[in-house]
Amino acid sequence: MADFQIRTRHPLRHSFGLRDVAVYLGRFWQRRDLLLHMTVRHLRGQYKQSVLGYAWAVVNPLSQIIILSFVFSTILRIPAPEGTPYPLFMFVGLLPWIFFSSAISSATDSVVNASSLVTKVYFPREILPTAAVFTKLVELGFGLLILSVLMLYYGRLPETTSVWMPLLFSIHLIFTLGLSYPLAALNLYFHDVRFLVGVALLLWFYLTPIIYPVSLVPAKYEIIFDLNPNALFINAYRRVILYGESPGIEKVLLGLLIATATFAVGYYLFKKMERGFADRI
Amino acid sequence: MQTGSRKREIEFDDVSKRFQLAEGLTLREFLPLFFKRKGFADAFYALRNVSFSIDAGEVVGIVGRNGSGKSTILKLIAGVTAPSEGEVHVMGRVSPLIELGAGFHPDLTGRENIQMNASILGMTARETRERFDDIVAFAELEEFVDTPVKRYSSGMYVRLGFSVAIHSNPEILLIDEVLSVGDAYFQEKCLVRMDEFKRSGVTIVVVSHSMELVTEFCDRVLLIEAGRITGEGAPSEMIEQYLSTAPHSVEMTPN
Repeated sequence: MADFQIRTRHPLRHSFGLRDVAVYLGRFWQRRDLLLHMTVRHLRGQYKQSVLGYAWAVVNPLSQIIILSFVFSTILRIPAPEGTPYPLFMFVGLLPWIFFSSAISSATDSVVNASSLVTKVYFPREILPTAAVFTKLVELGFGLLILSVLMLYYGRLPETTSVWMPLLFSIHLIFTLGLSYPLAALNLYFHDVRFLVGVALLLWFYLTPIIYPVSLVPAKYEIIFDLNPNALFINAYRRVILYGESPGIEKVLLGLLIATATFAVGYYLFKKMERGFADRI
Repeated sequence: MQTGSRKREIEFDDVSKRFQLAEGLTLREFLPLFFKRKGFADAFYALRNVSFSIDAGEVVGIVGRNGSGKSTILKLIAGVTAPSEGEVHVMGRVSPLIELGAGFHPDLTGRENIQMNASILGMTARETRERFDDIVAFAELEEFVDTPVKRYSSGMYVRLGFSVAIHSNPEILLIDEVLSVGDAYFQEKCLVRMDEFKRSGVTIVVVSHSMELVTEFCDRVLLIEAGRITGEGAPSEMIEQYLSTAPHSVEMTPN
């Protein structure tokens, strides 16, 4: 590969259109090396100072399965669909939710936390929130290990329809990235954003069928779940992993549409706001 | 874009840079201002209608008092900040020697931080591998390359940051007072390396309060005062003009 070169006008331009977005995405792709370094750096920083290290990535979801199962299954007696133990049912929804919410909150702070770099040297800033999201993939990996153990414990083998998983998750990942970009940028302009994100994620958790099946929802409220992309993805994960059903091609296409639209708008807004980053820190 | 045989590498076209004085607003503070269309009143111009160009291979010094806008010019060239008005054109790989080691992570080792910092400066993994030994050797940190940088002294920190930056194969090098850090021996070593860069045709922009360095090292000097360019020419002339307009600059006498 030839030397990386910036042969262009100023990297932070006044205005840009769709064609520039393609150029920016290309430049982002050229710097994938840096994305990898940043991700590793995040991971190191996250666990280096702790005694248990990566064990925390297991302890956190494990403790949540236990307490949520106890509260919502044993005490409140929320039923899981027939033939599926509640902890397993719940965890298939909880795992992607933990990924989504921790990725969003970490990405929101990513640019603010890198202020010493942002004010000194230029690189495509979207690398920061992207690395924050990618860091959470490692925790998701540990979570999948727990899921495997849990399935073995209940004597369940993954259904063959689980081959849908990589595709479904890729779409979910695009959606997550698309949402993280404008939040990371806005957090530089208004420090309220991180608190807003905390509240929004809490509400979103309860409005997503994680601790309860969507079949319990009264028909007149179903619209909330049709409009909630996380509900769409989590229902699809359950269908392919637990029930051996296809996710439904129209649902996959709807998810893809929502994810790409979110990414396109989110990325555009991020690049638009990028101009002011160094001046806001 | 061609002037004679030399390529124009940096061009500022009527550039102004405005800063909002009220920064870091919370939403509660911002919303009333936004609706009343206030808040833009207390803007401050760090640069006003600045135009100049620098050709490939030129060594240009920027001289002016503190707060005159020198560092803002470097930040605009580095692409860190955007002009409020006008246009900045930069053609080439920029390596900023601005506060070295900004990207270092204290828990990572010297080796890991070299890879990280090189990547930030736009080097590929292969380039970094090829130059890794040179980077470590120039910083004289062979023994400490696998030590977390939080155990480094501030001098070691600066040496490593400097070494990565100069090995990033820059076409445009931005120097902001960094030569004033480090011990005399390392400073001398850096100056020798700067001279090599100069002879090999790298474009260099220097911000320095050392009139000696500017006189000896630069081909041309831009004089800047309160965000405006007030002079442009040979180093000795410009420094004379600068010193005559800065009455309190006893410490800045040449030599």
